[in-house]
Amino acid sequence: MKFRNRLLAACAATAFIWPMAARAAGTLTLAQVQDPASYDPIDTFLLAWGQIGTSIFDGLVQRGADMQLKPALATSWEMLDNNMRIRFKLRDGVTFQNGEKFDADAVKFTFDRLLGPDGAKGPQQSNYTAISAVNVIDPLMVDIVLKRPDPVMLTKLAGYGAVIVPPKYLSRVGHAEFAIHPIGTGSFKVVDYQPKVSITLDAYPAYWGGAPKLDHVIFRFIAEPDTEVAELQAGRIDIAINVPISLTGTIAKDPKLFVASVPGPTVTVLRFNTANGVTKDERVRKAMIMGVDRTAIIKSILQGNGTEVASFQGSLSFGYDPAQKPLPFDPAKARALLKEAGIAAGTPVQIDFRGNDATFREVAQATAGYLSAIGLKAGVKPYEQNLFTNDIIPNGKTAEMFQFGWGGWTFDYDNTAYLMYHSGEHWNPYDKDPALDKMLEDQRSITDRDTREKALQAIAHYVADHTLELPLYNINTIYGVNKRVKNLTPPADNRFLLNDVTVE
Amino acid sequence: MRRFKKLEFIAGILLTGTMVLLVMFSGLLFPDGGEAMDLSARLARPGVDWAHILGTDPIGRDVLARVIVGGRISLLVGVFSVTGAMVVGTIMGLVAGYYGKFWDTILMRWADVQLALPFILVAMTFTAILGADLWNLIVFMAISQWVQYARVVRGSVLTLRDREFVQSARSFGVRDWNILLHHLLPNVFGPVLILVTLNVANNILLESSLTFLGLGIDPIIPSWGGMLADGRSYMQTAWWISVFPGLAIMATVLGLNLLGDWLRDFLDPTAKV
Repeated sequence: MKFRNRLLAACAATAFIWPMAARAAGTLTLAQVQDPASYDPIDTFLLAWGQIGTSIFDGLVQRGADMQLKPALATSWEMLDNNMRIRFKLRDGVTFQNGEKFDADAVKFTFDRLLGPDGAKGPQQSNYTAISAVNVIDPLMVDIVLKRPDPVMLTKLAGYGAVIVPPKYLSRVGHAEFAIHPIGTGSFKVVDYQPKVSITLDAYPAYWGGAPKLDHVIFRFIAEPDTEVAELQAGRIDIAINVPISLTGTIAKDPKLFVASVPGPTVTVLRFNTANGVTKDERVRKAMIMGVDRTAIIKSILQGNGTEVASFQGSLSFGYDPAQKPLPFDPAKARALLKEAGIAAGTPVQIDFRGNDATFREVAQATAGYLSAIGLKAGVKPYEQNLFTNDIIPNGKTAEMFQFGWGGWTFDYDNTAYLMYHSGEHWNPYDKDPALDKMLEDQRSITDRDTREKALQAIAHYVADHTLELPLYNINTIYGVNKRVKNLTPPADNRFLLNDVTVE
Repeated sequence: MRRFKKLEFIAGILLTGTMVLLVMFSGLLFPDGGEAMDLSARLARPGVDWAHILGTDPIGRDVLARVIVGGRISLLVGVFSVTGAMVVGTIMGLVAGYYGKFWDTILMRWADVQLALPFILVAMTFTAILGADLWNLIVFMAISQWVQYARVVRGSVLTLRDREFVQSARSFGVRDWNILLHHLLPNVFGPVLILVTLNVANNILLESSLTFLGLGIDPIIPSWGGMLADGRSYMQTAWWISVFPGLAIMATVLGLNLLGDWLRDFLDPTAKV
């Protein structure tokens, strides 16, 4: 009896230390802030999904760590009918992680589902509405036929809504089951999912790109950045994703860890309430931009982990104009402009921001400090995240300025500009400008690359000239990494490619 | 014992008094209100530069100035919210305990209902309707915390109201309000004072968590709670941002506790030997 109790105790103890033991056998543990909750690709637009989904699923094409497109489930493609039809030659011998065969029917099934009533329930469908049909030519060849030219279509086929799903498995288990037990052709397959706690992936040895070097990958969901970094220091996670700048010093001084800072897609701006209050006046907005020393903010608060921007896009974005320069920091000119606009000293303005964004909390306070120095009485107001993104911004309840960060994973300025500036868009509560609307609509049907780039640059200049926002910075994506992780290319778009990664 | 009591009083007065005096004259000491920033002097270590003797925070603001000026908000919130809750709660508890029956049922069921409501949810609703500002925060804390006082007071009054000294007072024809004020109140004040000293500390911290959730006051205006929130992720690289406001909270709360302890003994009618 006594012996049995002891045996039970020993078993319990082993169960407890098991996660540590498993690490030794080639397990990589990553931590991120958010659990995407559904792993079905049609359900989500979250970066958090992209971080995990990239290991589970493949698209017809793939974007490497260098941000260039390369073959994935399709080995080659050609543009036909004046860019209105794309013909894909598919990879032979690929299987899904449950053994189901990948072929042209799976591609057709994926896009029929994405563009049909199932897809209509999620946010991904709207990215792919340019597709009119997918035609199967033979088991290893498909045509994607477009309704209108879409210059970013190939990029969009490299992830999110366009990743290929298994028709037989999905038809059998249904959407709800697929969302928590997804199957793809990717290098890792899901073996265990605990909502809001972790998702565990095992290597898929029959992966078309070669078996992954790791045995297991575990993504843990840790909402609190301080906890995430404490776990990293304790060695219980190997990679902490999206570390706030304030914690980089803590990581850097730990000999076991290093900070990886890579240019990312996310650009942060302070958008103006252009419809009401003092910021209705263009001169006031211009004064507020010129009154804030953005270079100093990037250098000190961001510790150089970012670059200054002149428009709502970074240098990787299509539509970026290197010749476009932000308004200079000139407090004297700013004060003169405020005087010209008849703004009395001590006029209150307020910056609204997301309360759980530790880095922006500092940026907002510094910005307010600069605005106070040119004679405004600036305050800052933190909001709870859901309230801020679901009510305050879309319903136009913000104060004079509000924080907005956007990072289109397609790196195409259209994705940002249309959603931010076109009348009636969800994220555009204030601006209504028919001239700008027309520019935004017209560029969408331009197929010539250079012409379209000029059109997008013209939009960026138009927005800057009308001072619709205070451009702040393109912030780097910052990872805290344990030095035992080898062959990792920290991705600019947050989408980890883990196939070649090893751990010591 | 006597000597210890005296020491308690002196230490309490010294700690609390110094804090209150510094905070009262903070406007003269630091005319910029602790809001002046200098990004180039960001995260300066304490004791290196005489201009920033306690160092600077991530935006290059002087920690010393912010600790002293920050006391304004923290003491204001702590003292006023607790006083409000204490006054309301004590009156409610006296009435419920002394009159019993109808008043007791009404007031105590109301208290039960209020205890059953989740604090953060009510706080969010309250600030959504009235807006987040300092006085709303104080009013909200007061009306959400009176219950604790009411329960303590009611419990004591229930046992006291049938005691001989109350009955004899009643038999002499002393009016109810007089009995409440002169016979019951001094006897229930001990536990109330203990609650008060504990809650001041609690509310200073509560102000910080509400501010952190975006329901409190503007983070630019210095407050001890806000400074703790600012310094949290710098604990291992710049300890001074959060340690000094932490020490200020500690000193204030310790002083208040000592004073409260002394005051309780001083006021307790049965302990006068």
